[in-house]
Amino acid sequence: MSTGQLSRSVRRARASTETRRPAGRPRRRPTSLRVRRAWAFYLFAGPWILGYLTLTAFPLGYALWLSFTNSDGLSPRTRFVGLDNYREVFADPDTLASLARTGVFTALTVPLSIVAGLLLAVLVNRPIRARGLFRTLLYLPAVVPPVGAALTFKMIFDRDSGAANGVLDVLGIDGVPWLVDPYARWVLITLTLWGVGNIMIISLAGLQDIPREVLEAARVDGASPWQTFSRITVPLLSPVLFFQVITGVIAGLQTFAPLLISLNSTPAGVTSVPQGNYLYMIHVFAQTFANGRYGYASALLWVLFAVILAVTFLTFRLSKGAVFYSFEPEQAKNATRTIGGKR
Amino acid sequence: MSASARFSLDRRRFLAASAGAAFAATVLPGCAASVNDKSSDGGKGGGTLTIMTPDDPKSFQAEAEKALGMTIRVIKTDTAKLNAMLASKNPPDVVRGVGALETPYFAARGLMTDLDPYFAKSSVLKTSDLDPVNDLWRFDGGKQGTGPRYGMAKDYSQDSMFWYRADLFDAAGIDHPSDTEPLSCDEWLDFGKRLTNRRLGKVKVYGLSAGGMGTFAQLTYLTASAGGSVFAEDLASVDFSSPEARKALQWYLDYARADIGPNVANPNPDAWDWPTYQANRMAMAVDGYWFGGMFLEDAKVAENSRLAPAPQLGSHRISPCFGATGYWIPRDTKNKDAAWKFFEWYFGGKPAQDRASSGWGVPSLKSLQDKMPQDKPFQKQAYAAQQHEMKYFSTLSFTPYAEVTALDAVLNKVLPGAIHSSTSAGKVADEVNQRMNEQIARGKELVG
Repeated sequence: MSTGQLSRSVRRARASTETRRPAGRPRRRPTSLRVRRAWAFYLFAGPWILGYLTLTAFPLGYALWLSFTNSDGLSPRTRFVGLDNYREVFADPDTLASLARTGVFTALTVPLSIVAGLLLAVLVNRPIRARGLFRTLLYLPAVVPPVGAALTFKMIFDRDSGAANGVLDVLGIDGVPWLVDPYARWVLITLTLWGVGNIMIISLAGLQDIPREVLEAARVDGASPWQTFSRITVPLLSPVLFFQVITGVIAGLQTFAPLLISLNSTPAGVTSVPQGNYLYMIHVFAQTFANGRYGYASALLWVLFAVILAVTFLTFRLSKGAVFYSFEPEQAKNATRTIGGKR
Repeated sequence: MSASARFSLDRRRFLAASAGAAFAATVLPGCAASVNDKSSDGGKGGGTLTIMTPDDPKSFQAEAEKALGMTIRVIKTDTAKLNAMLASKNPPDVVRGVGALETPYFAARGLMTDLDPYFAKSSVLKTSDLDPVNDLWRFDGGKQGTGPRYGMAKDYSQDSMFWYRADLFDAAGIDHPSDTEPLSCDEWLDFGKRLTNRRLGKVKVYGLSAGGMGTFAQLTYLTASAGGSVFAEDLASVDFSSPEARKALQWYLDYARADIGPNVANPNPDAWDWPTYQANRMAMAVDGYWFGGMFLEDAKVAENSRLAPAPQLGSHRISPCFGATGYWIPRDTKNKDAAWKFFEWYFGGKPAQDRASSGWGVPSLKSLQDKMPQDKPFQKQAYAAQQHEMKYFSTLSFTPYAEVTALDAVLNKVLPGAIHSSTSAGKVADEVNQRMNEQIARGKELVG
């Protein structure tokens, strides 16, 4: 086919398309790359944004409104009470005691978990026999659902028929009421440490990311194993540890585990949680579902949100100089991207 | 304006559209769910009836659908969900509840349907046939027991009676309690101590479980049997400082400090008495007649169990019911007539007759009470003891200004510390009064 013939064919084809297009309808222009990219982005991000607005933003706004009312969820005379609920939060001894208890629990369990997890990670990072088996065994408890682990603990620590007192019985020692005050808090801490495998596995990944040559250089320079660990390994691992501190603190402040190991672990039994384990979230649950104080409980949750923000901010501020980034986050903003070329 | 500009999707528009969609997603299901969906009735033509109950749907759903010609949708009992459904005016059509403790609370908030017109028209459920226990489902705005009927009990028990293990009494060399004359609470406590079996700080056999239907209910009953009342006349406050209530508190503290049974400082890990009782680890359990229904699954337990009258703290003999468990119809349900059909079937039809002969409680219709089982020796003994106890049946009013969970929460907070220390009953009473009255005052403000 000659060039002339080809041009005529194209013109004919265009003319035929024009005749098929309804009169007055504008010619469709190809969608620009920018628009198509926008569609693709929103298509992928859309479900999450929709879920966020429906399941997070809307309930948050509703809870904020509730926190300024005396609502019990049912009564017709619910009214606006201004900041009364917030004032009560800071005047209610039960609330302040539960908050203080939660702070102590978090301050105790987060460092303990991280140190234990790190030590286990160092252990299973060594070239020992059956290393894979040890890694699996140590990580296994973290895979067990918290409810299952709590039930197991309840059975182990039951005063009258538990294994812990069974051992004491064999030794001729009086049984201990582990699941009530003042012992229940120690069972809770042990249960929290039971899931230390999660921290171990993340720390292990961090350890394996440390370049061998750096450790080798330290050894050649005459550093002892402890010096290598404290001056090379820990600093290089500090971003990983810092991440675990932040997530651990948030989880610690929100923990609901005391109900799971309570002797009466039904929702109605939330007020039977021993005082030693009566943490902030238990108090919130009790105010909501036992006392029907929806307004006050919403205020409690907003205060917890503020506390978490403050603690996280404080932790970030305190971490300055303690966390070593091989790549400074501030510089990263201006650095050349490795994928996709220059900005 | 170019075509591409018109069709472009900027971030602001997208977020606005998402917010709209989120709002619609939140609101529309509520609207849709409030419509009686006759198109999804499974072809039964009678619509759909939603029931909130803890019962296994398998135990009644198919039978109810067949009998009523309706699709039965079952929602597992969940207080938080019920509150949310009531607040959104989209409640279940029929709700399981504890009439003795819940009627004033829900009725005072205008959430229940007045069933008097339905009873007046019914040929199945006649008010003349209703056992007095059904009065616990009545509330006149100030007092329980009178006024409109808001629900009906499926069956009931006198919840302060107790079951005991005759074999454990024999082993301890203690005479069996009388079937007709009540023990005093001091004798009862003494029996509990003698029946408790310990080893190295562990309790092998509990002598007495005195929890009953909850600590607050138990203290209310003990106070009443001593001749007093925990609630003020207007139900707007409690007073545990009265001599009768202090005596009741002191008895409970003595019981818990003796560590002879589950209590607020050492709850039962099984959450109720049956597993411990069945395992031969509990000699006496405060559970009414209904508890005998469990014995059908364990012949040995049945053979060794006896029902005894409610022990008394004073000379004012009473034997109250704290349950009257049954159903009610929320005010905002769209299916009231269908819900009443369910009532007639469930309370007056075959299920009621089956329940009556099962031993799971005293039937709430007088006409069904002669069907109570008396085939086995333990059933005969329990029937006789129950019939005699009926003379002392009484109802105790509950406040409309607080849920029983809130009042039990106060006891759970205050009592464990007092049990572990030597705090006096008077001091405990002061703290309980202050905390409970604050809670009740808040409720009173909301109800008016």
